[in-house]
Amino acid sequence: MTITSKQAREHILAGETSAIRVDGSVDLRDTNLKTIACSVTCNDLDLSNTAIETLSSKIKVRSKLTLDGCQNLARLPAGLTCGSLSVRGCTFLDRLPERLTTWFLNASDCPRLSMWPKAASICNGNVRLRNCVEIRTLPDWLGPLGQLDVGGCVNLHAIPEGLQVSGWIDIGGSGVSSLPKSLTNAPLRWRSVPITHVIAFEPEKITSKQVLAEKNAELRRVMIERMGYLRFSEEVGAKELDHDTDAGGKRQLLRIDIADDDEPLVGLACRCPSTQRQYFLRVPPQMKTCHQAAAWMAGFDDPTLYRPVIET
Amino acid sequence: MNRRELVFMDSSSNKFWNIELSGTSHIVTYGRAGTDGQTKTKTFADQAAARKDFDKLIAEKLKKGYVDAGSATAATDGDDSTLPALAFRSIVKQDDVQQNAKTFIGKRVADYDPEKKPAKGDKTVYRFRNDYDDETCIPHLKSFLETDAATEAAGIVVGNWAGDDPGVDPTAVIKLLCEQKDRLPSLRAIYLGDIVSEENEMSWIKQSDVTPLLVAFPDLELLRTRGGEGLKIAKPKHAKLRALICESGGLPVEVVRAVGRSNFPALEHLELWLGTDQYGGDSTVEDLQPILSGKLFPNLKYLGLRNCQFADDIAAVIVNSPLVQRIETLDLSLGVLTDEGGRALLSLPTSGNLKHASLHYNYLSKEVSKSLSKLSIKFDLSKPSHMDDDEEWRFVAVGE
Repeated sequence: MTITSKQAREHILAGETSAIRVDGSVDLRDTNLKTIACSVTCNDLDLSNTAIETLSSKIKVRSKLTLDGCQNLARLPAGLTCGSLSVRGCTFLDRLPERLTTWFLNASDCPRLSMWPKAASICNGNVRLRNCVEIRTLPDWLGPLGQLDVGGCVNLHAIPEGLQVSGWIDIGGSGVSSLPKSLTNAPLRWRSVPITHVIAFEPEKITSKQVLAEKNAELRRVMIERMGYLRFSEEVGAKELDHDTDAGGKRQLLRIDIADDDEPLVGLACRCPSTQRQYFLRVPPQMKTCHQAAAWMAGFDDPTLYRPVIET
Repeated sequence: MNRRELVFMDSSSNKFWNIELSGTSHIVTYGRAGTDGQTKTKTFADQAAARKDFDKLIAEKLKKGYVDAGSATAATDGDDSTLPALAFRSIVKQDDVQQNAKTFIGKRVADYDPEKKPAKGDKTVYRFRNDYDDETCIPHLKSFLETDAATEAAGIVVGNWAGDDPGVDPTAVIKLLCEQKDRLPSLRAIYLGDIVSEENEMSWIKQSDVTPLLVAFPDLELLRTRGGEGLKIAKPKHAKLRALICESGGLPVEVVRAVGRSNFPALEHLELWLGTDQYGGDSTVEDLQPILSGKLFPNLKYLGLRNCQFADDIAAVIVNSPLVQRIETLDLSLGVLTDEGGRALLSLPTSGNLKHASLHYNYLSKEVSKSLSKLSIKFDLSKPSHMDDDEEWRFVAVGE
């Protein structure tokens, strides 16, 4: 039976079991829906922020299937076919279904997502996997794609050879340190900021002079992040506001004045007691001491209350 | 080939340009369609020089959008009652947006004057609109519908239907046309919204559901609308519609979705001005997927996704789409197309049917423009002279 979008919404919410068809969209966002009991055929279906746990194979969405923020979602049906699939912030989801066919995939902020189907087709559209920290590889059946966002995929170290991306690739904060030959000339982004290949893959070539000459504040921030706050602060002659010693050794509170910027860059340079890696952590510019800065980072507005028993 | 006959149509003209090469000279004849035009002869030092100039002038005209008079685009299948595909051209350059239509479906447009007897023989398309102080749109349309000229009319242009109150939508005009459909048996083309910014900004125009027109006029071939707010195609179904043009400063996503689930099997020309989210253009490239999938519109030759804020996103996706293999013209003009999108377009298929790509009004660097112009596709890479690009703020051509 073909019904209107509004009727379909009521039909599904009432738990009806008879099959329905809608020429248009069905919007069930922010409802407390747990399951869909009937067969549904529609153009677009939005189930964002619902308590849905699994999606049945009787749900046919021709165009856009949106399941953003469905924190209980565990399984999607094998053979799922739609124009675009969005499962952003589905914090429980650890896999995508076998034989998934779609143009667009947005699986950003799915921290458990780790398993790719053996066979599937995600091509022609865009793939967003921002902050999918458990993703370790990309499947060889992927693409060609329009845009690819693997920003924050800290455990992803390589993009498969042969993958085609006609637009940009965002690798900001991911483990990717080089591109395959098929993507040598692809435009790059670092968490949405367009960057050059040198900034991405040869940060040791960035000079503080280049950073200070860059007009775009966002790009400047990324350049400093890439070259390392420490090297940057050494090159520009950062002023030491305070220093002391913690479990990692010597720490310093540094100030760097950046022309045209509203506020100076103030940060705590310190070493991790476990890994001995050097960090430069930005803090509010009004911080006066290393201890105050460390307390601020731990969430203490009053530094006298911050007395860590042990730092690891 | 020593002779070429070319024609051109857009919202302000319908003209021809013929050239004949003969020995060391060539003769050019040009003018408005239906007239004899003017003739100019130019003589050269030798035959080779004449041939060179002959080829150069033709290439120049083709680049401007002229097509061969005998080509499928310009032809009417020998049936005078169908429109040539060339007649579907709307606005070509940004500056044309500022002017009311001078021609529509290749015919001269004139404001209807009830004091004068309308011209016979369907040479003129009449426009009905309110003046700023005079509500003449509906009364004039009513008057026209009583004349014999109405029964011959292939096209109708509705101009500003709102008078002092820009919040008025065209429901009453649509209703009148539908009620009087028997008075318009020859109608093939409707332009609902020939409104320029002096009358009402494109993004302020109130539109309404155009479904009744699709139902009332089963022989309609071209439906062109201007204005995004309130525009709806509740039942997107028509057996014969060949061209759909929706000009706007912001096209509601529901319109894009309606086109994506439409049943327009005869569609040859699809033109959507997607606009910006500031003016209600809330679609994204994902919403275009049903269109780009190539499963709709088996006869589509022209796809225009114009005046679009996310033209770069479209460029990245469209190069891989099945649809782009089939169409002849891709139009991404008037939008925010930067080098990122331009670089993506370098992988457009050159072995398919795609012949033309309009990127008029773009933010491409010289370097990327040059790379594109090396492809075997003919690109319009022109920019309006007044276009400035400060890199930080980039706008679509019509966003108000």
